[in-house]
Amino acid sequence: MIEKIRSYGIVGVFLGLFIVLAVSSSSFLSVRNATNILDQSAILLIFAATTTVSVIAGVFDLSIAAVATASAILTVTSINAFGIGPGIILGLLFGTLLGAVTGFAITSTNVNSFIGTLAASFTYRGLGLILASGGLVTIADRDVVDNLLAVTEGRYFGVKGAVWIALVFVLLVGLMLSKTVFGRKIYAVGGNREAAYLAGIRTTRVLISVYALSGFGAGLAGVIYAGRYASGATNAFSDTLVFTAIAAAVVGGVSIFGGSGAVWRGVLGVLTFALIGNGLNLLGVDTTYQLTILGLLIFLAVAADQVFRRTART
Amino acid sequence: MNDQMGGGESSASPPVVSLRNLSKSFGATRAVADVSFDIHAGQVVGLVGENGAGKSTVGKIIAGMHSPDSGRIIINGAERQLKSPFEGIRAGVSMMAQEITLVPDRSVEENIFLGDLPRRGPLPNRAEMRRRYDELVEFTQFDLSPSAKVSSLRIADQQKVEIMRTISQQAKVVVMDEPSAALTADEVQRLHQSIRKIAAGGVAVLLISHFLEEVLDLTNQVVVMRDGELIRVSPTSEETVDSLVSGMVGRTLVTEYGQTKEASTGNVRLDVARLNRTGMLHDISFTVRAGEILGLAGLIGSGRSEIARAILGADPKDSGTIRVDGNELRARTPSDAIKRGVFMVPENRKEQGLVLIGSIYSNLLMASFSRLATLGVTIVSKMKKQAQALAKSVDLRFSDISQPAGSLSGGNQQKILFGRAIEINPSVLIVDEPTRGVDIAAKRAIHGILEERAAEGTAVLFISSELEEVLGVCNRILVVHGGRIEAEFYPPYNKEAVVSAFFGKKWKVQ
Repeated sequence: MIEKIRSYGIVGVFLGLFIVLAVSSSSFLSVRNATNILDQSAILLIFAATTTVSVIAGVFDLSIAAVATASAILTVTSINAFGIGPGIILGLLFGTLLGAVTGFAITSTNVNSFIGTLAASFTYRGLGLILASGGLVTIADRDVVDNLLAVTEGRYFGVKGAVWIALVFVLLVGLMLSKTVFGRKIYAVGGNREAAYLAGIRTTRVLISVYALSGFGAGLAGVIYAGRYASGATNAFSDTLVFTAIAAAVVGGVSIFGGSGAVWRGVLGVLTFALIGNGLNLLGVDTTYQLTILGLLIFLAVAADQVFRRTART
Repeated sequence: MNDQMGGGESSASPPVVSLRNLSKSFGATRAVADVSFDIHAGQVVGLVGENGAGKSTVGKIIAGMHSPDSGRIIINGAERQLKSPFEGIRAGVSMMAQEITLVPDRSVEENIFLGDLPRRGPLPNRAEMRRRYDELVEFTQFDLSPSAKVSSLRIADQQKVEIMRTISQQAKVVVMDEPSAALTADEVQRLHQSIRKIAAGGVAVLLISHFLEEVLDLTNQVVVMRDGELIRVSPTSEETVDSLVSGMVGRTLVTEYGQTKEASTGNVRLDVARLNRTGMLHDISFTVRAGEILGLAGLIGSGRSEIARAILGADPKDSGTIRVDGNELRARTPSDAIKRGVFMVPENRKEQGLVLIGSIYSNLLMASFSRLATLGVTIVSKMKKQAQALAKSVDLRFSDISQPAGSLSGGNQQKILFGRAIEINPSVLIVDEPTRGVDIAAKRAIHGILEERAAEGTAVLFISSELEEVLGVCNRILVVHGGRIEAEFYPPYNKEAVVSAFFGKKWKVQ
């Protein structure tokens, strides 16, 4: 019973929050508000999905914002040089490559992933600076900009293209984790790496793939940024996004110790944060207090999880 | 013997510690039964017995780490009920555990006074610390630099730091559990000097050890245990290695394992030739035949598990060839070995075997996810069905195949690993301590599974610290000692000869 509360508590919190907002604010239950929430969450959804996967695999990837920034810059310069199609493909490949390099470096040296990816994050930010020659790169061709904007900012069934891209990605990552052999191996590696290794799972290969996936997600975020803003800036993605994604995964019920969780949990975490922010806005709470309230709520959610765990054990 | 260490005086005086009728069980396992003996000031008392005889449990009871189910502990004439190591220390009993428990990056001094740092207001009182340190040096005669970092010391010197800490805690009795197990020959000498010095200073030492020569050399009295019971307490001068071994093993070879095994004549499936790993394994060569259960026996730390891990590719090897069904196996990871038909059920099921938070079915199928998938996509219903079949074949007891593996009993957790092995159907199956901490029914079931595997032609390499089990289950036994194969035995086994080989004593095959 307690296990169920722990497992599905966040669903209850989300629904409760939803009902409270629906009752107390007339504008909450509008299509416009819903699409608003989604628009604001697109990038965070991508980050939360890949972060969920890496946390389940028992590692952190703190470099994703830096990789996304570098990818956005590379996408813009590649589009200028080779056109839209090759530019996008190069941007995605670049992100994947950086992720794989991080994974290779960390698994071959056995550096702790937290500090290893933190170092990688500085390196890739620096790489972005070099690629942008220290400033901002912009897409030169006006037609190209319009075409990209039509895809990312245009609305399809009321939802922006960028959001659709993010949702499809999140769905695919979710299916990969829950339905494929690769997904099973990720759970095994995160649950007990030594046991997985002795059972014949090539743990190094699994982890490098996880970092590469994380890099691909960051590359996708970079491409979306390039498409939305027609530019790549060295401060395109803040590192706060990385920690928000980790917090979203944990609040959604992904174990910080690895081995358990699901992509929908990361998504639910992101949506809960969005609801809280949105709700505080609609209820007219001063934006000055919102961050403090959000922080306290995250702490409460994680502390409650710990308490449930302890009770479940005894 | 007694007068050599000023014991003439102490044996006349009342003992520092008296144990009276101590008993302790863990679940259904009886670890200690009705044990009574005394320890006098200035004496070194040896405590010997086979693996699982209850030695460490007795040591832990004296130090307050376990409470006895019944019986009395009298320390300095007063009956005590120790509920924690802290209370043990306050009563004058300190335990030096098998693992070093020092803070590596701090100095010798600081480590000694770790829990009780002399201070002046909020600041450490360095002068007072040095004064107390000098007192300790005077007592123990240890020559260590007080400001040296502990991590820069060799292990024997780190043990000195531990000993000084126990003395600084005003210990009257120090319990040492296998203190020489991790030491080189030279360091063992230093440790022995340390023990002699603190005993000469009036401290009583209870020395739990597998090394019988060491016990004979250092102690005034020896306590022999077997199956949790006290066999005898006698002056060390009356004992020899042989008398201790026969006391530990018992005269009669009681066998709960019906018929005696016969040597196997199948084809050679695993052939290990001149396997070496620096400092660990020396020239290990042996074969295992189809249908054979080969026992690897020996003390904990003798190198048995290292042999298994080297075959599997989990640890690197320096030289040597391994052949499976005649073909050379060059495994760099366990994944390579499994593909070539070598599978291991590891020593520690919780740390090396299972994903405890994972479901029973995914744990059962962990080595064979790919084979049960279509184009990389797993079908849960198919997995569960296969897992149910495996669970049945190993008689696994559970309520829901999706429940976490960690919710099962030890025996059932172990059966999951055997289920995994059956799914792989390996040519060579290595099992490392498969019955540790499982109840008797699960143990029988596991032996049954092993015999069934062997009957189907698998070569089984069976590692166990429990001698009765090895004698009862194996067609042949190799004893490993100090990283070498010390001796080989064929049925019917001479139990005392096998045990003697554990301690490095060569016996002819009979």
